[in-house]
This record gives sequence, C-alpha cells and structure tokens, in this order.
Amino acid sequence: MRTLSLIWQYFVQYSKVRLAYRGDFLTSVITTMFGALAGIAAVYLIFHRAPLIHGWSFDEIFFLYGFGLLPLSLFNLLSINLYFFSEVYIIQGKFDRVLLRPVHTLVQILFEQFRIEALGDTLLGLVVLWITAPKVGIALDLRFWLLALVFTVLGATLYLAIFLCLTAVSFWMEDRVGIIPPVYNMMAFGRYPLDIYGTPIRLLLSWVIPFGFAGFYPVAFLLGKDGMLVFAWLLPAVTACFLALAVMVWNRGVRNYSSTGS
Amino acid sequence: MPSVVEVENLVKDFRTFDRREGVWGAIQDLYSRQYRNFRAVDNVSFTIGQGEMVGYIGPNGAGKSTSIKMLTGILVPSSGRIVANGYCPWRERTRYTRTIGVVFGQRTQLWWDIGVVESFRLLQKIYEISQAEYDHRLAKFDEVLELKRYLHTPVRKLSLGERMRCDVAAALLHNPPLLFLDEPTIGLDIVAKESIRTFLKEVNREYGTTMLLTTHDLSDIEELCHRLMIIDHGKVLYDGGLPELKRMLWRESALKVDLRDRDQAALLAAFSMPGVAVERADELSYRLRFRREEVQPAELIRRIVNEVQVLDLTMEEQPIEEVVRRIYTGEALHDDAHASPEGARP
Repeated sequence: MRTLSLIWQYFVQYSKVRLAYRGDFLTSVITTMFGALAGIAAVYLIFHRAPLIHGWSFDEIFFLYGFGLLPLSLFNLLSINLYFFSEVYIIQGKFDRVLLRPVHTLVQILFEQFRIEALGDTLLGLVVLWITAPKVGIALDLRFWLLALVFTVLGATLYLAIFLCLTAVSFWMEDRVGIIPPVYNMMAFGRYPLDIYGTPIRLLLSWVIPFGFAGFYPVAFLLGKDGMLVFAWLLPAVTACFLALAVMVWNRGVRNYSSTGS
Repeated sequence: MPSVVEVENLVKDFRTFDRREGVWGAIQDLYSRQYRNFRAVDNVSFTIGQGEMVGYIGPNGAGKSTSIKMLTGILVPSSGRIVANGYCPWRERTRYTRTIGVVFGQRTQLWWDIGVVESFRLLQKIYEISQAEYDHRLAKFDEVLELKRYLHTPVRKLSLGERMRCDVAAALLHNPPLLFLDEPTIGLDIVAKESIRTFLKEVNREYGTTMLLTTHDLSDIEELCHRLMIIDHGKVLYDGGLPELKRMLWRESALKVDLRDRDQAALLAAFSMPGVAVERADELSYRLRFRREEVQPAELIRRIVNEVQVLDLTMEEQPIEEVVRRIYTGEALHDDAHASPEGARP
C-alpha cells in the first residue's frame, strides 16, 4: 500500500518534470504517435493482401497487433530507466543515491521515471481492438476486458523480468554492453503468429526468451486457436519464474555494485 | 556513552584491470585482462559514540569515500564487520537507511529538474514523515539555512551554496540519529560554509545527532569536531582529539627575532645554545628553531634578551594545514609514533 502511494507520488513528480519542458514533451508525443501509426501501416501493407497465413486471417493478425500494443506500451511506460541503467546508474554512479533510500532498488529504478508517451500506444491498441474485435468474432464484454487486463499486466511483467535480467548484467560488466537493443528488437517477433516462423525461432520465442507468451499466446487463446490454449494457462507460471529469476539476479548484482571513485 | 557505530577490521578490495592503450589494446582487453587487486580500505576499526562529531580526513584516494560508502550500505565490504544504529548496513539496507542521513558534497541527492520543495515532499512520502513534523522541521531549518527564498526554484538553477543548504536539510528531514557528510563544504564560499557549520552544530546540540564528516577544509574540523581520524592508504594513522594531535606534532617551534641594527645581527648570528638552530630570515631578522622537549621557550627568550638588543620577538606556530601536510607526506607520525598520546600507530 505504501509502495503504491509512493509509485503514484513518483509518477506525479515525474509528470511535473516532463511538463516543465513543454516543447520537448509535445515533440516526443507527436513522434511517438507517428512511430505507432507507421507500425500499423506496415502491418496493413504487408498482410492485407494475403487472405490467410498459416490459418490466420488479416483481421486476426491486425487484432493480434493491436492487443500486443497493450503489454508492450505498459512495459515501455516503465522500462525507460533500464535503457540508461548501465550508462547513468552504474558508470556515472547514480545508483549510490538509489541505495540510500529506504525503498527497494527495483521500485525506484522502475518507477522513478516513466515514458509517458507510451500511453499513446495503449490508446492506439485499444482503437485497433475496437475496430477488429467484431471482425474476428470477439465480443468486447466485461469478461474480455478482465482477461485483457490480466494478460496485459502479466505480459508487461514478463517483458520487464526478461529485461531486468539483461540489465542486471551491467552490475558485473561495467562496459557498455549492447545486449539490450537487439533483444528489444526481438520483441516484435513475438507479436506475430508464431506459426509463421520455423521451429528454432518458435522454440526460442517460447522457451528461451519467451516473448511469445506476452504477445502471441494470449491472443491465440482469445481467438480459440487449436493447440494454443495450454500456453495461455502457462503464462502466469512463466511470468512468475522469470520475475523470481530477475529479482534474484538483480539482488545479487546490487551486492556486486562497486560505485565510482569519489 | 553508548556506541552508535562499531567498525571492526574493515577491508575493501577492488579488482580492476589495466586498460591497454589504443584500439589494438582495447581489442586485446576483450580476451585477456591483467587483473590487479587494490586494497582501498585496510583493516580499519573504530567506534563512534552517541552525539559525537567525528572528522574523517585524508588525502585524495586515501579510502575516505570508500569507508563512507560501506558505512552507508552502498558498498559491501570484502571483510570485516559494521554495526550502525544496530543494523548491518548492507544486509538490512532498507531498514537501516531510514535511520541515517547522507550528504555528498560532490553530488546532489535532490531531484534535478523539480523545485526543492517537491523533492522535500517526495522525501516526506519516502520516509513517512507526518505533516506536523515536516512543517515543524522545515520552519526550524529555515531559521539557520534561510531555505524559504529558493524553495520553489528547480535544483539545477540553484547556486552551489544554496544547493548544499538544501541537500543538508533534505538529509535531516526525517531526523536521523546518524548523519554522514562527504565533503559537505567543498567549493563553498565562507558565508555558505559558516551557515552550514552553524546548522550542523545546532542540530547536534538539539537532537544529539551523531555525525561523521570527511573534508579537506581543516577549519571544518576545528569548528565542528572534537575528534578526528586521519586515514591514508586505507589505514587509520591517527584517532584522537585535535589538541592532542597539535601537541604531538608541534614539537618543533620557531622564534622569530627582529633586531635593531647590523651589529646586533652579528651578535645573534654568533648566538649558540644546545638544541637551537639559528637561521637568517633577512638582514635584520633571524629565525631560531628548537625542539620543545629540549628547550624551554622562556629560557631561550631570557638568554636572547640578555645577549642582544631586540626589536621584536614572535613565536611562530605551524598552521594545522602544515601539520596535516606532514602527516600525508609521511614526514610525521611514522617516526613520531612512539610519542603518540593515544591510538596513533603507523
């Protein structure tokens, strides 16, 4: 409860910071929206001519894309510090300050800054769902929204857990290791039907870096695709495992933190 | 006096590797690295009692900051034991940090882009300070630090002096019984320094706050601390009071003698007394150096006045900076240790 109210405070304070630089904020909102629209346009151009790809219609792929924006945007909202973590917190030693506050380090790292623009993607995702749901035969009722909420939260948590594991590596390797950007780009693979990939990539996205659980499998479940249902039920367990792993690796890393010279 | 901080055989090793030069060197570094162990803090032990104000000094790279970082729970020691406020700083970090305040002179603890008061509000939430207590303390701090004038300015726009005052206030907002200050007066003008010192003294008197501060400005120590620890190469060289340190190291004194004319100067040049070295300072003034344990100053002055006509006599004392310089460069303490009154071992 205390943590929740603290997170809210962080959010309010950070919004003030962003609004203090109005021009910067507006530009950022606009470019983010263009980025999202370009993403949608790309999906449209690539898939609208193909009637059925591995049993997926264009509308279903579009629905998948829209739904995938929900956990992705929630993750983007919170993950901003992870990109700069090695640079700002380890190399510049800003992590000192984090360690001096009586709040768990992860809470501070995840909630001290937000990429507020990501909420635009959430909105876009909802619009896409609104348009495509009737075409793929899904009723936007209370049951659907509850499921969507659960899948969104679990999916975003899974994304966060995977990237936390990667971020924690910088506690041991002070070099600016470029491990995060390529993995970040891999996230997009998990937002298309996994059936279109070969077995190695499908296994990778399911069991090694399980992005498929955040994007693809929940939608396969909602659409009632054959043989996919069990994966959605595994989502909570996979998320829990990765979260536990992330927290463990992180806590070990914190102990290994060596600060800067002065 | 109950002890607030107990440190026993504290050691911190860092493992670094020497980076080779140039592009080819960087490539070589990728697959083979020559690691080197560096001992930043070497078997340090001490205790600090409740309400004590202790100065922690040493040259750059002596291990001061590393010690402070272990004491505040930022770094995990390689070996040794710390108990502070009853906690192990790195194992019980969240509970421990509630009971301490930390000020880093080189780096602000406040949020850079928002008004000072917003940072304070956030700290109020983080440390769960009641509104009544928050108001009371802010009013109290304002009396000495005069915070109200820039409470709504973003931190990045404050001058260094203003920022430091805010940083010190922020560290004490939750009324911690133990305060660490790492170079709190670095780069400040004399007014700002004075204001912060007065404030720290007042907080110590009123709340009995224990303080450990590192500094390069020895007037901080003279004004604030009853006890100082000198550390170099990771080892404690001296632990005791400032007056005792002065007495111990100021064994060599000098008497400056100004004379009326050249005849008198010739007389003084020929002056001799066991244990006294005569040095010419300029045409009509001489400096007589002597060791206090061998020569009584009163006896020396009596003999000088008897033998030559003197215009003026001045006893010259070394400034504290000179004493500390001699410790840092290794001239003092190592050979003087046998005469140390307490605790000082090379």
